Amino acid sequence: MPPMEDKDIQISDKDIIIAVPSILVAVGILSLPAKIAQETISSDGWIPLLISGIVMIFLTWLVVKTVSSFPNQSFFTISSSLVTKPIAIILTLLFVIQGILTAAFEVREIADISQIYLLNDTPMEVLSLVFLLVVIYAVSGERAGIFRLNTLFLPFIIIISLFVIILSIGWIEKANILPIFKTSIGGYAEGIKSSIIYYGNIGFLLFYLGFAKQPKKAPKMAAIGMSFTVLLYTLLFIACVGVMGNGAVSNIIYPTLDLSKELEIPGGFFERFESVFFTIWVMAIFTTTVIAIDITVLALQSVFKKLRKLNIILFIAPTVYFISLLPKDYVEVSTLSNIVTVFALVLLFVVTLLFTILLKIKGVK
Amino acid sequence: MSRTSFFNRRKLKTNKPEQQNQTKTTIELGKNLAENLKNIKTILGEPSDLIVRETTLGGTDKKCAIVYISGLVDQDLVNNNILKVIQSNMNEIDPNQIDVVFQEKIAITDIKKDNKFDESIDSLLSGSTIFFLDETDTVLILGTAGGEKRSIEEPQSEALIRGPREGFVESVQTNVALIRRDIKNSNLRFNYHDVGNKSKRTIVVSYIDGIVNPTIVQEVNRRVKSIDLDLVAESGFVEQWIEDSFLSPFPQMINTERPDRVASSLLQGKVGILVDGTPFALIAPTTYSETLKSLEDYYERWIVGSLIRILRYIGTFLALLLPAIYIALVSYHQGMIPTQLAFSIAAAREGVPFPSFVEAMLMIITMEILQEAGARLPKNLGQTVGIVGGLVIGDSAVSAGIVSPIMVIVVALTAISSFTNPSYSVGIGFRMLRLFFMVAAAIFGLYGIILAYIMLNIHVANLKSFGIPYSAPFAPAFVKDWKDSVIRAPITMLEKRPTYLKPEERQEKSKNEEKS
Repeated sequence: MPPMEDKDIQISDKDIIIAVPSILVAVGILSLPAKIAQETISSDGWIPLLISGIVMIFLTWLVVKTVSSFPNQSFFTISSSLVTKPIAIILTLLFVIQGILTAAFEVREIADISQIYLLNDTPMEVLSLVFLLVVIYAVSGERAGIFRLNTLFLPFIIIISLFVIILSIGWIEKANILPIFKTSIGGYAEGIKSSIIYYGNIGFLLFYLGFAKQPKKAPKMAAIGMSFTVLLYTLLFIACVGVMGNGAVSNIIYPTLDLSKELEIPGGFFERFESVFFTIWVMAIFTTTVIAIDITVLALQSVFKKLRKLNIILFIAPTVYFISLLPKDYVEVSTLSNIVTVFALVLLFVVTLLFTILLKIKGVK
Repeated sequence: MSRTSFFNRRKLKTNKPEQQNQTKTTIELGKNLAENLKNIKTILGEPSDLIVRETTLGGTDKKCAIVYISGLVDQDLVNNNILKVIQSNMNEIDPNQIDVVFQEKIAITDIKKDNKFDESIDSLLSGSTIFFLDETDTVLILGTAGGEKRSIEEPQSEALIRGPREGFVESVQTNVALIRRDIKNSNLRFNYHDVGNKSKRTIVVSYIDGIVNPTIVQEVNRRVKSIDLDLVAESGFVEQWIEDSFLSPFPQMINTERPDRVASSLLQGKVGILVDGTPFALIAPTTYSETLKSLEDYYERWIVGSLIRILRYIGTFLALLLPAIYIALVSYHQGMIPTQLAFSIAAAREGVPFPSFVEAMLMIITMEILQEAGARLPKNLGQTVGIVGGLVIGDSAVSAGIVSPIMVIVVALTAISSFTNPSYSVGIGFRMLRLFFMVAAAIFGLYGIILAYIMLNIHVANLKSFGIPYSAPFAPAFVKDWKDSVIRAPITMLEKRPTYLKPEERQEKSKNEEKS
């Protein structure tokens, strides 16, 4: 059998379902409950979370449907035929920026969090460098290998999340959940605003759709993947607020990690369960970062056809590392986080609108 | 891509003209009997075990000779079925027509004509007897290979509690027959290859036509043909030559001594590779989950089989991670250990002068040395090593305060866990990886362990065995194959062949068989 070329890879329906949570679930969910709890009263945060989730499920379905009506074509070719080549180049390069920024943000956050929860004395620069090296190792392999990695890691992420959610059921206090529906309309709007940005990175999926084995099924699969992610976020939010209460959650930086700190593992096998939780969560952050860098490579390759994968990686990796070192403290990190997520979301909206409208006008060739 | 360049490099090296090849081409078969015999003696260096029996055809004065190497042939066959026939009365036949005469007369089934000198010598060296007739430039090669053989015994390296007691032997003919006895199917195929520059070895690629994925067979045959070695001494040479990645710590083929294992793999759509001269056959392609399967899982009832398999997965994780986790917890994350246990670990480590990484390394290396010493020693000495090593060193190391008792428990548990892996060569790979994890844990604690684990997964996700992803059936997810992966579903539910091999014929049991 000849060695498989990257162009030959085919991704199945299952791969698409798995890719969605692999792209989305990362550092965001660790701080998400705090952001939403700040805007809402008691446990009401699940409503904006769910609403923004449903909006995003629909948006994903729409954009995936539009893109996958051009089967087996790269994002660049599709956008060239829809919005002329110069704009297509700009759009693709914007995704390159999104990929680099996302990767840098994840690399920075993982170093920060592991310094808080795992290794207090190791310098942040070293932690992020090691992580980035592992990510580069993954990206320089086959693209099909990345999908296999997603498949290998997702079960761990699901199991550890379910474990936390199920354990926290026993710790939920009624006073923290009730009363419901006390938030004002403005609060809900703010909540939606701060929760919807967590789904912006789904735009990465568009680049992989060209490899889909059954493009017709892709919108449904992407929607299933999205629903799973929305459900996971909502459940984790309810667990956080239910166990720790709205007040506490909105004042913690990473409530999801602190939720696992509150829990006591039956049997007393481990103390400080949040360390275990975060250790497993490194896998989720890893898949997101790998995909972000891989998309950057893919996008650059689709515009500059002569560039070799390894050269691109050698150029991107230092950039990512450099950007990840830029923020000086937590405030600046969250500014970076805001920039990255809002940028991703706006880009996704623009692409969705442009593509859907132009497809309606021009029709599929 | 790396593969072809690797081959090319090796080919360039061996491309130099070689002496033996030159002598092979210079001499040709002549019509003169005496000259032919002289040539054969010169080429082989007149060895004393080369038997040349010159005689005349029975009843005529036509000269002829049979040549063989004693020890390689079946003596009775040569005496009774060849010599006796030649010396018997041949008056009625025209002795010049060599083929007519002897294809009718000589009582051996495996007989062929040849007129090339080097080919005759090759077959002479593999145990054939050569018949020369004066005034003819054609010889007969008579298949008389025989000699001493080991009888079929229970496999040493893969003993099962329940299961057939026969194992492969060194003779490839016997091994092929053993597989044939297990699979009585007309689609069972054996492709023979003669491989080796200085010494030919028979390599047999076996598969079941109609079940196997033909591209896999083609690929195996292509790679086997590309072998460019002086001598293929063991199936290990074949394995290392044809494997996909020579940098991987994981074997990409399973080696086995058990005919039943090869047979069941063939029926799943895999390819078996038998090498003459070794009882170890290779099974390709293989995946990670295959290496954790033992045939006994299928021979026992499914609950037992499944539980034992789960145990093996746990054992693998322990063998890989336990020392690393110990190092990480003790040196970086003391807070994660339950308080009571933390106190007792701290108390046990009281007098130990080394950091936990050094302590663990000391014990693990000692353990590896013991294992290696025990593996090479004669059986009765092996026990002594076990007692001296395990009991004396372990016990006195603790009382001398070099290591803590907890460390001894960790190392012992790790060692025992690594033996739960049914495949020895996979086990060795894990022994290397364990050190890697320990180093990672020593530098970065749990963070290091999870990054090392991710790296291991990246490697496995990119590894392939003959085009089949090594991480199948987990990733890419072949959900239908999961019932025979970590668990082993009841045999009545395992009707379908594994789908990850993309075999041609999906149904393992045909409808007719099911009815009867």
